[in-house]
Amino acid sequence: MALCQNRLQEERKQWRKDHPFGFYARPQKTPQGVLDLKVWECGIPGKEKTIWEGGLFKMTVTFPDEYPTKPPKCKFVPPLFHPNVYPSGTVCLSILNEEEAWKPAITVKQILLGVQDLLNDPNPESPAQAEAYNLFKKDRVEYERRIKRIVRENAAP
Amino acid sequence: MAQLPLPTSLDEVVSLIRELYSPNSPDTISKVQEVLHRLQRSQEGWQLAQSLITHSDDNIKFYAALTLIVKLNRDSAELSEDEAKGLIENIVGWVLQSLADGSGAFVTKKLCSALVTYFIHFSHLWPSCVRHFVSCLDIGRAFPPDALDDTLPTKELVLKLNGQQTKLAVWFIASLVDEVGKTDMNSPKYSNLHRRLAKNVDDAVCILARGFAPPPEDGQADALSCYQAWILYAQRASSSTDTLVEPLRVLVDPAMQCFANESLFQSTAELFSDVLFNYSAFFTEAHYNSLASLLCDSLWAAEHYSRTMHGNHQEDGISFGLLMLAYGDAKVHKLMTSTDDRSQRFLERLSGLLNTDGYLVAEDSIFVPALEFWATFVETMIDTAHDPDTAESDYGNGWKLLAEKHIMTVVTYCWRKIQWPPIEIIAEWDSTEKTGFNEARKDVSDVLQSIFALNASTLVSMFADLFLQSMSVQAWAQVEASAFCLGSLSDCFCDNSKFDGELSKVFASGFFELLSEYQGPIPLRLRQTGLSLIERYCEYFERHAEYLPHALNLLFAAVGDPVLGGPSARSISTLCSSCRSILTGEAGAFIRHYQTIRSSQVLDSLAEERIVLAITSIIQSIPDENQRLAMFEELYVFLKQDFDRSAQLKAEPSILNLSDPNFQRGVDPSNLQGLPSAEDVALQIALRSLRCLANMAKGMQDVKDHLVDLDDESPPPPREGEMAGLQVDIIRLMVNVQQTFNNSGEIVEIICNIFKAGFSEGEPGPFVFPPDIVTDYFVQQTFETPRLGTLLSTACSFAGSLYRGPKTFVANHLARLIPWVISVIQALAEPESDTEITQNSICFVQKVMSRYPDVLFQQPSQMLEYFFMFCLKVLNGKEPLPKAEAALFWSGFITLKSEDPGLQTAISNAMNHLGPLLAQTLMQNIGGNAARSELDKLSEPLKKLVTQHVRAKSWLHEALFDPSFPDSQVTDQEKRQFLDRIMGLRGGRQTNQVVREFWLACRGSNFAYAS
Repeated sequence: MALCQNRLQEERKQWRKDHPFGFYARPQKTPQGVLDLKVWECGIPGKEKTIWEGGLFKMTVTFPDEYPTKPPKCKFVPPLFHPNVYPSGTVCLSILNEEEAWKPAITVKQILLGVQDLLNDPNPESPAQAEAYNLFKKDRVEYERRIKRIVRENAAP
Repeated sequence: MAQLPLPTSLDEVVSLIRELYSPNSPDTISKVQEVLHRLQRSQEGWQLAQSLITHSDDNIKFYAALTLIVKLNRDSAELSEDEAKGLIENIVGWVLQSLADGSGAFVTKKLCSALVTYFIHFSHLWPSCVRHFVSCLDIGRAFPPDALDDTLPTKELVLKLNGQQTKLAVWFIASLVDEVGKTDMNSPKYSNLHRRLAKNVDDAVCILARGFAPPPEDGQADALSCYQAWILYAQRASSSTDTLVEPLRVLVDPAMQCFANESLFQSTAELFSDVLFNYSAFFTEAHYNSLASLLCDSLWAAEHYSRTMHGNHQEDGISFGLLMLAYGDAKVHKLMTSTDDRSQRFLERLSGLLNTDGYLVAEDSIFVPALEFWATFVETMIDTAHDPDTAESDYGNGWKLLAEKHIMTVVTYCWRKIQWPPIEIIAEWDSTEKTGFNEARKDVSDVLQSIFALNASTLVSMFADLFLQSMSVQAWAQVEASAFCLGSLSDCFCDNSKFDGELSKVFASGFFELLSEYQGPIPLRLRQTGLSLIERYCEYFERHAEYLPHALNLLFAAVGDPVLGGPSARSISTLCSSCRSILTGEAGAFIRHYQTIRSSQVLDSLAEERIVLAITSIIQSIPDENQRLAMFEELYVFLKQDFDRSAQLKAEPSILNLSDPNFQRGVDPSNLQGLPSAEDVALQIALRSLRCLANMAKGMQDVKDHLVDLDDESPPPPREGEMAGLQVDIIRLMVNVQQTFNNSGEIVEIICNIFKAGFSEGEPGPFVFPPDIVTDYFVQQTFETPRLGTLLSTACSFAGSLYRGPKTFVANHLARLIPWVISVIQALAEPESDTEITQNSICFVQKVMSRYPDVLFQQPSQMLEYFFMFCLKVLNGKEPLPKAEAALFWSGFITLKSEDPGLQTAISNAMNHLGPLLAQTLMQNIGGNAARSELDKLSEPLKKLVTQHVRAKSWLHEALFDPSFPDSQVTDQEKRQFLDRIMGLRGGRQTNQVVREFWLACRGSNFAYAS
């Protein structure tokens, strides 16, 4: 538990010192105004020169007590139309999977950049929702039209 | 690419190396590089390095050193101990030689790297590498490491070195700590290496102490950055921290002396900032005291501070400011809780860093890092305030008041800094500077939210007052900054009426009048911030309806603006949705507003959808049903006209008139390549209006919860009157649009959204269609309909909504839908050719089976058999999503029971027929065909099978020994053990683990199966 808190303090510090452009990531506040380091509200911007450019997507990152031994859970709120996002909004990504590529050394910044990469570079091997996956595979034109619309609806301020 | 032949003489090698470093085509260079690599890797590599090192050309010597490093890394194992001992003597000799003969620094540095590479491979033959190297430098020649004596301490040896020799020694120990630091400290392979390096630290410290003092003048900066590298190495090498840290600490004071030398200021500041930020525990309290007195009390510091405050950051840098911040960061808690003069003075200076002369980002580089310090300060304060271990008495010495005073100064400075400069200044900024400015404003808004937790009321009234004061003197940039800061705090208290008084002062100040002067004096940015302030405080307007019409009129007026339109429409929908019940009287006025805007211009489509959503959410709240429907129709009629126009245009392309706003609606502004075709315009008009209709459906959703009586057997209320007519009309409209544009998947998708919006409703409404209308719609869809997968998913939602409503007629609807769903999959070539169809149809059948198994088993046996075989095929397939759905279906099927004897017989017969096939499919998966991530899902039907069926064991046994079982490494004995284990576990949770182990064994890992 203490390990989790210390690490999150450090992550917070590192993030404030150096974070990638257009992203945000901050611990949620409890009603008393105290930071809850275990739940972060984040914003992932679509990458430049991709169909996702101009969008900003809200994601909640929840850290378990066992963090950093176990990975955090990333969830788009509201759920995002994307082949690797479950209907609940949870992101399916190897670096977020304890049995796959998660390593305690992975930082919040790396996670958010990893999710940003995933937006335009879905992994068809691990589909998480039928609609986006099927459209991505079968009708790329329609898929891209849909993404562009989602980007407009979630335009970065 | 043909390879070059290996050179046969040294001269040829030399000319090849020269070619490598001359301007040449990439092709030539890669060919030359390839042949040289081959040579380096050959047996002759050692010899080659030795021969080339004495060459007069620096490039050749450099290449020789490089070859040496390559050989050491690749072929160290080839060397006998004697050869290795001889080699180090040689390399040291070559380093000394290169110093003596004036070789280029890059050659000497490369040779130092070769020394380090040697140490990495042979540290046991060269344990006192630093002292040995210094001794060789001292006597001017290399000698064997074994002959090293301890007559003179290293400290005295280094005093005898001249400037050049000192510089060389620093290069060596810098490269030493860098390269060794790159090897894995936790790996046993390198643990001796790191231990031996640590033993050299005292000698390295002697060199650094000598290096800090001139001569040579130009070597001191190298020594400082080398010192920095050793400290950070010490931090990482936690196991030998004590051995390393104590000797290194001796150098802190001498290093601090370097601040006095102006030319060393940068390097020294960087050293201290880096260590303070990253390894604050390295310094002792005594060191901190010296630093504090240097940074707070000295004239030197005052001068540097003044330059940071008033100088040019681009030219002069901000090292001093960063140093102060690094000190502050390391000592933040102590500074916060101290009341002494020096701490107070220091904190004042730190807040002052937020108030330097230049404009944010473009000129002022220290604001953002300084703000980060203050964010830490505020968070530390919040933590302390909420820490139960902090006794009340801790506040006794009055630090809290002082700390709060500093924070308020910070707030004032931030407010000043984030004010937009005049347009002519902004025009000179490049895009990075502009975005940097905006990002810094966001950082400020974060810090303000944190400060709110400490001192809410002061903060709110402060910005409200600043707003009013600036308004009175028409200082627009200040008004904007105050509105921005107030807006930042909205998340903290907008749902709380505590500060309504302060907000009312702002909103009653002539703010709306000001913003409504469309061509008025105020800048666009203020207008933007003002409108967003309205949106952010939408809960306030719920409580203060008197301002709501003002706010909405203002927003509606801005809807057509290219910049403000989008955000205004969003604000309108937020406000209307949350204040719907107050606004019911305004519905008519808003519809007319919408009509006026529509007839004069083409709105951005998203903005239009949001306005339609806003108006409909007000309509939804009108208590009188007749009035509600009347308003609804008034709005709906606009969309209906659009659909008519679109169908007409599709039929008669010649009527297209692109100067008519009614047709311009169908031009996609993001896709303006060439003139759009009439057909395309027609489709876009339809899509746009259909989306608006979907937003009407969303707007009509009830925001309150109603109880539903599940046991209500009474038939649904008779469809009569206006509502029923409207529903029929909407359905007819949707069906017509779909028919007119029968290739458009988007149309189908939006229709599905409209249906879904109604499914979740408990109360009647225009989009809460009677189930028979919905069922009629579904069964008319053929395999040719686009986006059939989405339609099936909508059918699943429909089934869900039927289950939530009264029970009557549910079975009838399902009985009509099941054949339709199965006919769709019958038309599917392969289950995997459309995964969405496959997944959703299985999901639908599963939903029916779980609640109305009789409906499923009433279907013709041929149809059922087709479905079951299809579902087995899916379970054996490669597509994860349908496969998971199939696993779920089979789990449900296995446990299916009925009290009706006839139905139970049908279920049992089906199970007896399907059981062996299902067992086969499961065993093929678990026998290695499935992906690892699918195993847990596949274990579910297996667990159910084991507990529910007497014949499960024999089915599974047959499956394990069937020829269809994948070729695997498991023996028959292991198969039997596996079966015994899962049967023994009786569906327990451990089954998943056993399944996993068996799968691994079948996949052929080296797994010994333990019984």
